[in-house]
Amino acid sequence: MLQAAGLTKTYASGDRRIAVLRGVDLLLRAGESVSIRGESGAGKSTLLHLLAGLDAPDAGELRWNGDRIDAARCTAIRNRFLGMIFQSFHLVPELTAEDNVLLPRRIGGRVDAAARRRAADLLARVGLGERARHLPSQLSGGERQRVAVARALMNQPSLVLADEPTGNLDERTGEAVITLLLELVAETRTALILVTHNPAHAARTSRHLTLSEGILHHG
Amino acid sequence: MPWYVHLALKQLFPAGRRFPFFTAISVLGVALGVALLIVVTSVMGGFGYEIRRMIVETEGEVQVKARGLIDDPAAVLQQVRRVPGVEAATPFASGVVMVMANGRPAYPAIRGLHLDTVGGVVDLAAYVRLGTLEELDDDSVLVSSELARSLGVTIGDTLEVYSPLIIERLRSDEVFLPREVRVVGLVEIGHQQLDSSMLYGTLRLVQDLYGLGSAVHGVNVRARPGVGEDELARRLNAGGLPAGLQAFSWMDSFEEFLWVLNLEKGMIFFLLLFIVIVAAFSVMSSLLISVVRKTREIGLLGALGASSRGVAACFCAQGILIGCFGTLVGLGLGFAALAVRNDAVMLIARLTQREDELRRFYQFSNLPAHTVPGDVATVVVLTLAISFLAGLVPAWRAARLRPVEAFRSE
Repeated sequence: MLQAAGLTKTYASGDRRIAVLRGVDLLLRAGESVSIRGESGAGKSTLLHLLAGLDAPDAGELRWNGDRIDAARCTAIRNRFLGMIFQSFHLVPELTAEDNVLLPRRIGGRVDAAARRRAADLLARVGLGERARHLPSQLSGGERQRVAVARALMNQPSLVLADEPTGNLDERTGEAVITLLLELVAETRTALILVTHNPAHAARTSRHLTLSEGILHHG
Repeated sequence: MPWYVHLALKQLFPAGRRFPFFTAISVLGVALGVALLIVVTSVMGGFGYEIRRMIVETEGEVQVKARGLIDDPAAVLQQVRRVPGVEAATPFASGVVMVMANGRPAYPAIRGLHLDTVGGVVDLAAYVRLGTLEELDDDSVLVSSELARSLGVTIGDTLEVYSPLIIERLRSDEVFLPREVRVVGLVEIGHQQLDSSMLYGTLRLVQDLYGLGSAVHGVNVRARPGVGEDELARRLNAGGLPAGLQAFSWMDSFEEFLWVLNLEKGMIFFLLLFIVIVAAFSVMSSLLISVVRKTREIGLLGALGASSRGVAACFCAQGILIGCFGTLVGLGLGFAALAVRNDAVMLIARLTQREDELRRFYQFSNLPAHTVPGDVATVVVLTLAISFLAGLVPAWRAARLRPVEAFRSE
């Protein structure tokens, strides 16, 4: 479903180039959940950006459902193929919870009655059915992240990329969000890549990887 | 609705906020420019329109004139009436005279009317405020209202009229006494110059004062409805007139004045357009700040699959929407200001104690206004175009922002 082979990424730092990723290989099957851990600055977010097609690798190849992905031309495919969850939630402050959830569908095409029903169902599923008309500023951190989870699943993607989704939440709320996320991806047979610092959260995925010195290690 | 228009609307009018301050200020800037443009073009158009109304209603659309006198007006009238598009025609004689009343002199123009035919061309009776046109005969005149006031005369009083013929007669040692005429009516056209310096008498009276015999100075022509004044003048000149005569539309007669009026209108329009341009720069600046402030959201849109073009369209749409709302509000403000323009002008004159000066130097009794749909369309199109351009620079900046750079800026 997702195949990365030899992904390499370097950044310029003065006259030097620093290699952040040194030939990362990753194979992800449909419905599989994988956690990636690593120290701060290890390149976890860079790897997620490459896997999402938001950035181009210096070397290596990325395939979604077997199709080779070019970061410059994968925007429309990204809208249908994957959902993203961020540490800082990244909800649009002017949109209600419902409109935030509907945003990927709106960008991908028309919002019809079926889309509205799905958004309502997702909000109900994340426990925010009564808060659909609320703005992000009227929601707590945990509630905002639950809206972001619903938004990531709106277009029924094949893959969800979650970049430290509990980083800005307290332990109890973070636990609840992770539980919800894992339940939802399991229910919908959606693959998940979870970048986290939390070993307990990582342990709940089906496969555990560690990014160290630019290379992905198992376990 | 495309997502970028939906998001642009939500960003301009966020849900749950009663007064979107940024939007209100931006819209108001554009609206003030539009309102000023509407008021100024309408008032300038009003001057031209009122002048046309005044000329056409007191003289007809077209005048037929000779280099000197028209010796056989009956023949000319007959020929003029045969031309297609002519509704009616009437001969006239006119000139300047000196009048005396109550020891006060004045030098008005006098127009001699052919009472049998003038009604078909000019509805002078509609402007007679006191007395009636029917009472006019060869020994009486209608006096314009301001002139009557300055001479201190009213209906029933007598005026002494001195014509230029007196000077000619004096050269041959003849004594030519002034003509005494009664005032039978006061006329008010609504134009300061006409209302302060016009006498209306019979054609015979003016012919006598100028020693014209049966000759006249010209023929005023009324066009049939739907026939333009230029077209009618062209038809008359194309073969409907005896040699030596020429037809002029009212626009030909006032060509230079109208050119100056149009030039003034164009210049003021051009200068006031800068208000819209300045407002557009303020919109552009606000949108550029918005691009910087919303860097993460722009990155998010890319991550959700929005194209660079869509992101650009979102900011362009905000510029256009501000332009649309600003134009609508501006049109409302402009037409509202036009509706109360006379009250406002009089209030300012009263507050500055300049009412008399206003009446004396102003050509019209009211501030005229005439809104031409073409002018409104020009204002609307230019404002929307400028607003669109104001959104382009922020849109370009937003489109250049790569999602990954936006997230990296966190």
